[in-house]
Amino acid sequence: MADFLNAYSIQNWLESCPQAYLEDTVFGHSSDEHEPDLIMENEVLRHDAIRTTVALVVGERCALAASSGLINAAPDEGSKRFLATQTLDEARHVEVFTQRLYDLGVAKEDLESVIAQHANPNLVKFAELLLEKVDKRDFLAGVVGQNIVLEGMAFSVFEMMHVMNAAMNPKFAHTLQGTIADERRHVGFGENRIGSLVRDNPARKPEIEKMQKEMSYWMLATFSQAFRDTSAVDELERIGQERTHSNYQGADLGKLSTNEMEALLGDTVLKEFKVRLGRIGLDYQSPDRP
Amino acid sequence: MSETQKRTATDPEPPRARFELEDTGFNEVPKKYRKFYRRWSGEKDELAPNEVLCPVCKVVIRSSRELREGDRVYCMPCMSRLVVGRGQGGGLEATVRY
Repeated sequence: MADFLNAYSIQNWLESCPQAYLEDTVFGHSSDEHEPDLIMENEVLRHDAIRTTVALVVGERCALAASSGLINAAPDEGSKRFLATQTLDEARHVEVFTQRLYDLGVAKEDLESVIAQHANPNLVKFAELLLEKVDKRDFLAGVVGQNIVLEGMAFSVFEMMHVMNAAMNPKFAHTLQGTIADERRHVGFGENRIGSLVRDNPARKPEIEKMQKEMSYWMLATFSQAFRDTSAVDELERIGQERTHSNYQGADLGKLSTNEMEALLGDTVLKEFKVRLGRIGLDYQSPDRP
Repeated sequence: MSETQKRTATDPEPPRARFELEDTGFNEVPKKYRKFYRRWSGEKDELAPNEVLCPVCKVVIRSSRELREGDRVYCMPCMSRLVVGRGQGGGLEATVRY
């Protein structure tokens, strides 16, 4: 255990993150990268990008509150140090996605009202479930909720968004690539740290599995509303702009309907949950379908 | 004869192939370790005999020698310790050691 926790050093984080993939970036991307004209000159696409980015800000604000709140609940110094680095990662994510809202034309004085207007209520419910555990200083449930469920979801969502944007919007794709790299550490911590704690606290399993089931429900509801509200696919078709034919989980995203994309993302994340939870000794609970 | 050659001579398994590792542009770990990892490009990404996929963070771990069942590898991007095994499809698969 001691060796394993020693990897969670600030020095390791410095060499792997700020001195590595974030070197020479400005808000997560190269200084010469900008939002594409296609988005900035089309009100429907710009509005859709704002709505999507608000969801990322809301999710990352939740992750920031959770990771910082878990520091004092952590039972060992290694975990506290790791969560301190994760807190800075999450704060950076909030900052880079907030900056994207500004880049998309949101005025600084309108930021909170734009977030309130577009925040997906299902995502807020998802966040409240997690933060309830964090408020109770429940490290085990908090890390499963944050580093397995929330980060597992973010990992898949960011990957899908990354492949969708790689050709069309390199600036946003570059920002996402940095957040995906951060998520690798976060999911790794979740699995590696929690596996032994679950083994030592088997009586806690039913309650944690119930939380996973509830959080998964709100996650699916979030996806459902997000894909229902999107107007980008219809608008691209209306203006005769061909969609990017990028591959995600073996599917051509340029050919899928929004319903099919929602199903693909939901199934991918749930499948990942099942595998990740199984590895740490938790039984995945299938959520109700919203 | 070196110790390695002596062991190889009595080992029933054939000697392991060696691989020259080049930089693949993976930049999520400190510089000196970067050649040991590469990004995975999905299900169609064919792994070489010296490569195994980290099941936790989906990064390909690369070794300077051929990997075999029972080998221990470390995924630095997600800080997971893994053991190499044989998957259902016959290829190498890594499982996490907590």
